[in-house]
Amino acid sequence: MSQISIKQKVQRIGVINTQAGNLFSLFACLKRIGFEPLMINQPQQLDTSISALLIPGQGRFGQVMSQLTSTGLDKVILEWTKADKPLLGICVGLQVLFESSAEDPGVSGLGIFKGRVERLNSPKQPMVGWSKINADNAFLDQQIVYFVNSYGVKTSDVTAATVNYGEQFVAAVNQGNIWAFQFHPEKSGPVGEEMMKQCLN
Amino acid sequence: MSELIGSNGLIPRVIVCLDVANGRVVKGVNFKGLMDMGDPVELALKYQEQGADEIVFLDIKATLENRANALETVTRVAKNLSIPFSVGGGLNSYQDVAQFLKAGADKVALNSAAVKTPELINQIAEGFGSQCLVVAIDVNKNDVDDYAVYIRGGHVKTDINAFDWFKEVEERGAGEILLTAMHRDGTGIGFDNELMSRVATERNIQVIASGGAANAQHFIDTYKAGSDAALAAGMFHRGEFRVGDVKQALSKQNILTR
Repeated sequence: MSQISIKQKVQRIGVINTQAGNLFSLFACLKRIGFEPLMINQPQQLDTSISALLIPGQGRFGQVMSQLTSTGLDKVILEWTKADKPLLGICVGLQVLFESSAEDPGVSGLGIFKGRVERLNSPKQPMVGWSKINADNAFLDQQIVYFVNSYGVKTSDVTAATVNYGEQFVAAVNQGNIWAFQFHPEKSGPVGEEMMKQCLN
Repeated sequence: MSELIGSNGLIPRVIVCLDVANGRVVKGVNFKGLMDMGDPVELALKYQEQGADEIVFLDIKATLENRANALETVTRVAKNLSIPFSVGGGLNSYQDVAQFLKAGADKVALNSAAVKTPELINQIAEGFGSQCLVVAIDVNKNDVDDYAVYIRGGHVKTDINAFDWFKEVEERGAGEILLTAMHRDGTGIGFDNELMSRVATERNIQVIASGGAANAQHFIDTYKAGSDAALAAGMFHRGEFRVGDVKQALSKQNILTR
């Protein structure tokens, strides 16, 4: 028997370090589903080995935006999305793709998508728990996923899925290879893991 | 036909509770000893596969000397679990909470510490967000309509009225209340749904019902009474019910599950 091992190419995911909370569960989830996560602290770290970018879902709008602008990672993300390379935003990582947020008025978002993040009229604040989403897309439609949020986008021209808790709001957006979820796929069991695989591949 | 519970909002959660001591899941035996039930990660994964919506770890011995051990367990769980989990028991300060969240817990549960230092609730809500803070409240029914709050694992009675405390906890910014009816704990006669229903009506915070569950019907009853989630330990650990059995029973009653 020869000792040749065939090394399968593992896709590297650049996880934007927003310095807001631990990224432990997210990293573990990426590894579980077969990706190699790499923490991106500054623009120089982005090389051709990275196949997709991920903006994690921890922290508040203003805090995340301030981290992105001070490191210059905001420009990196804008160039990345202009080139239509794969990007996944989670929770506040969805929200910063929009223009502004009621959570931190006066702070500009990345503005990749038109619209403003609003405070949601959830029956109980914050929204914490599992909810069923509606979508035209078969891999999202009728799935039950885990939400943790007080803010959200009410309508968007790039809506891929919606959810209803007190009122309807955007559960997922999509344009080309850009995907973003208001829910936490890394906390949504096997269903969420499958969604992450689909969007990052 | 009753309305489909969970169809227009959050689905009622089935939560499995695991008591942890020195890195192992344990079960108390007649207040004397602790029986080893297994590895926390293995058991949590088992319940995740059965369909649990969330796991609560109550580190019943999170004393200072084995704190490192408890944190290591939390990190191991976070690495392996793909559903949310909470940690509680022995958390006394803002620093304790920071440590456990940093180790990978999605939520922390405060009990006695919140009673002793209510400002802690505000500080944690502001520092980390209400979503990660569960306030665990142990109550015992004195007589018909009067519930007292107990602390220190149910050993010490306070002079705090339970309904005043629910209100205060909500106003200070807790995300959820884990409400254990001590007078039902271990009885197997079902949750105290009179209590749960009153909280659901009077307060605007999610309530996890705890204490008394022994079968699927008890879950159905408490969701119908207004509980947002319900927690059980023994009925699952003893293998009498799988989480999936409870979920099947819920579906038959028009209660949405995942």
